Amino acid sequence: MSPDPIAALRDDFTRALEAARTPAEVRALRDRFLGRKNGHVTTLLKTLGALPADERRTLGQQTNELKRDIEARLTAREADVGRDLPPPGSTDVTLPGRRRATGRRHPLTLVQERVEEIFLGLGFQVIEGPEIEDDWHNFEALNMPPEHPARDMQDTLYLSAPLPAADGGRPATLLRTHTSGMQIRYMQANPPPVRVIAPGRVYRRDSVDATHTPMFSQVEGLVVGEGISLGDLKGTLNAFASRFFHAAVRTRFRPSFFPYTEPSAELDVECQGCSGRGCPLCKQSGWMEVLGCGMVHPAVFEAVGYDAERWTGFAFGVGIERLAIRLYGVDDIRMFYENDLRFLGQMPL
Amino acid sequence: MKAPLSWLRESAAVPDDPATVATRLAACGFEVAGVDGETIDVEVTANRPDCLSVYGLAREAATAFDVALAPPPGGDLPPTEPTGTVPVTIDDAGCGRYALALADVRIGPSPRWLVDRLAAAGVRPISNVVDITNYVMLEIGQPMHAFDAATLAGPEIRVRLARPGETLVTLDGQSRELDASMLVIADRDRATALAGVMGGAASEVSNRTTRIALESAWFDPAAVRTTSRRLGLKTEASTRFERGTDPWGPTRGLARALSLFEQTGAGQRVGPMVDVWPSPAAPPTVVLRRARLASLLGDQVPDQDVIRILSALGFLVAPETAGWRVHVPTFRVDVHREVDLIEEVGRHWGFDRIPATFPALAELPRPSVAGLDLGRRLRRVLAGVGLQEAATFTFLGREAAEPFARPGIGLVDIANPLSENFSVLRPSLMVGLVDAVVYNRRRGQESVNLFEIGAAFDARGEARRVAWVLTGPREEHWSTPAASADVYDVLGIAELLAEAVGTEIEARAATDAPWFVPGRAAVLQTTGRDGTARVGACGQVLPAIVEARGLPRGEVVVAGELDLEALVGAARPAASHITALPRHPSVVRDVSLFVDERLPAAEVRGTIWAHAPDTLVAVREFDRYRGKGVPEGRISLSWRLTFRAPDRTLTDHEVQRAIEALVTAIGAAHGATLRSAAGPSPTE
Repeated sequence: MSPDPIAALRDDFTRALEAARTPAEVRALRDRFLGRKNGHVTTLLKTLGALPADERRTLGQQTNELKRDIEARLTAREADVGRDLPPPGSTDVTLPGRRRATGRRHPLTLVQERVEEIFLGLGFQVIEGPEIEDDWHNFEALNMPPEHPARDMQDTLYLSAPLPAADGGRPATLLRTHTSGMQIRYMQANPPPVRVIAPGRVYRRDSVDATHTPMFSQVEGLVVGEGISLGDLKGTLNAFASRFFHAAVRTRFRPSFFPYTEPSAELDVECQGCSGRGCPLCKQSGWMEVLGCGMVHPAVFEAVGYDAERWTGFAFGVGIERLAIRLYGVDDIRMFYENDLRFLGQMPL
Repeated sequence: MKAPLSWLRESAAVPDDPATVATRLAACGFEVAGVDGETIDVEVTANRPDCLSVYGLAREAATAFDVALAPPPGGDLPPTEPTGTVPVTIDDAGCGRYALALADVRIGPSPRWLVDRLAAAGVRPISNVVDITNYVMLEIGQPMHAFDAATLAGPEIRVRLARPGETLVTLDGQSRELDASMLVIADRDRATALAGVMGGAASEVSNRTTRIALESAWFDPAAVRTTSRRLGLKTEASTRFERGTDPWGPTRGLARALSLFEQTGAGQRVGPMVDVWPSPAAPPTVVLRRARLASLLGDQVPDQDVIRILSALGFLVAPETAGWRVHVPTFRVDVHREVDLIEEVGRHWGFDRIPATFPALAELPRPSVAGLDLGRRLRRVLAGVGLQEAATFTFLGREAAEPFARPGIGLVDIANPLSENFSVLRPSLMVGLVDAVVYNRRRGQESVNLFEIGAAFDARGEARRVAWVLTGPREEHWSTPAASADVYDVLGIAELLAEAVGTEIEARAATDAPWFVPGRAAVLQTTGRDGTARVGACGQVLPAIVEARGLPRGEVVVAGELDLEALVGAARPAASHITALPRHPSVVRDVSLFVDERLPAAEVRGTIWAHAPDTLVAVREFDRYRGKGVPEGRISLSWRLTFRAPDRTLTDHEVQRAIEALVTAIGAAHGATLRSAAGPSPTE
């Protein structure tokens, strides 16, 4: 006998079955393999009598299994050829599938929504406001009186004529240079306590290069309450950094200066490119600047009529592009505004 | 501010290691841009003009390392006479103090050490006299200016506002037209320097100069800023003055400069010094409460550390029961109130030592703005039907924006644009999206389907919009011939968006959207309690517009835009309940009519609804045909009508009667004739 007559027979059957296209061909197969007189399986069973008892038992079981298997496949195939199904090979499944067109959200939207979700989870509410602003909301109420260096014509884009404000208030004269004006708008309309974020586009008179665009996006944050401290600022923004980057991310707060906060700070997180070891992305410092923050300046509370002795609070402003650059490892901020489908198509669905 | 460490260490014995000093300065609020050899490049924030000096930074470093600070480098104050050698008159409050001394000088090069220090600090050496004035400015932060005394008419000095039409050639060789907002230093006859900004060429110290008048003054920050901004001229001096210099600096600066003249052999004082200081202000006193310090920082700083930090920074600290009475030094122009002192303590105590806590929620957070959910919902819908979200610039060139302006409503110009390409606020989001389509088509993308949500602007103000722009084949697959997106694609998106916010839009032929091809443009409107309102438009963008933006001839770009506030205003309030499924079967009938080819389908639909029995539940156009079998000038329009009653199964007879009545009504209203009414379709 050949080395494995059962396997050989099964292969023969499989090939023959694939070739069978009509009910008649399938019937012929049944005769050829299972026919009482000369069927291959029947013949095989007959030869077993000559073998020793234990070998006969094993091979007998296997041959009977093959018989049942062939029987089942013949029955299924009979039903198929009766339905006139296309023959095997008529559909090439290795060709590409037909994709329903699917769009993706913009990377800046994805980052902004991620920031929003984190702060929503920390008990913040999300607010929105106008992109064109008046001088009082954008500067003066934020402790930047006229002639303050931060108000340089270099920085601010002005409208050539005032535009009516959506809320019927002061006419807009400029494109907001930051979302901090939303602190003022919100506090004017709502009593403390406050726990809000305000995302949106802001504008600066900056030339376009790899790290600057005259338009970018920020998320402003403001918390006001009784006894809110710099420690609370640290705890809240550490929580944000750990959710946005990863749970064990290291942070540091460096003193800085903004006219509307005192004390002011910059939050650095360890460089995501080198985990703090130092690389070109972080100019070998191991740290990346992520946001500016600080305790709300009492002059700001005074401008909106909050009792600056009773209420304290903190504010922060996160640059969305900056976060997106950190998150996606993009080295040119202009990519976010070129709308190249080859770039946008890499975003997750 | 570039500070060589050896210079800084003359005043404070901080570690002789630039990296160590740089790290510590950064930790107390002085970001370091870089370290080059022994020179530390410090980014001084706008509130700390006192640290635009080596000595100011030495004070911060001494505090940070808890080492002693030497007294400021100087020399003996020269004797003062109010009238002095050169009469000085201050005519404008923009000058708070003006000190002046005469010196006989021997002009020549500076000694090597001085040149090296200036070079390390990034200042080009010029001559011994000018170099010393720069050295003093870098060392103690007092800007100074040397005039060639022989050129001063009088000689006298008058600090006054410029006269209208007055001109001055400044040291940089530029002739500058002055106006009455600018403060100048004048001699008897004419302006000879821009106060606090730049000297004049005519009185410049030269090789032939033998006697100088050395100015050391205090100018009002706003006055210097005005001159500097109006002339677009920023200098090392103006940067310091406009942020605020020490009112006690002028005489100290003179003393230091004169001692350096003597030390280097550059010159010698002649006669007494003039010092005109009309109204010296008393330095402010601020009370710092121990409890406030602890509650604002969220940390208890020990009393001895509070006193150590503030004293080292130059504050005079007098303990009181609840805290301290603190005298602010005159060079700290940024410290006015308690919170400013809290910052001083906090940044030298170390922000990193303050324990991180999490603020308790005192109240239930208020709900977020409705726009948050709206924006997310629209993005989900649009991305779901295959549109890619884009982000385009809010401002753009006039020639790109103008075609998309609504007739009679002006564009919004930027007064000080960076370039022509950013000079106008977008009147429509379609402007940037069309450019993005062109950008991608030029890079070989066949299908470009984009949307954006954002603000658009015109003379009426700011409005939040959603817009979408499509071009190219709808679906690209090897198995199917590609059909290009057309007007019905953009219309369908508008319908979908309306549904997403809970309203319906009606499309009518548009006449007020001149950027679309006439006849392929729809105005989108909603009908609410206040009547019918325009919420947007869609259609095929005029080929001339897209070709002007760089698209090849013959490409079809379709687009749509909706005003979100108007759309949401028309939405039904939260109609989110689900209607139970009908218990009785529907009857579906198809009706085809011949109508005039120019008759909008919407009119027939209106007639159908106006004459419909209660049992008509849905009307849908499913065919529009022109050609064989249709009379000239007419088209065949087909509707699928669904009838259903909530309480019974409708009979064929009753549906047939309803159809007949509708056909009669449409015939009467629009001159339509019946083409066919298909028999009972299978019930749905």
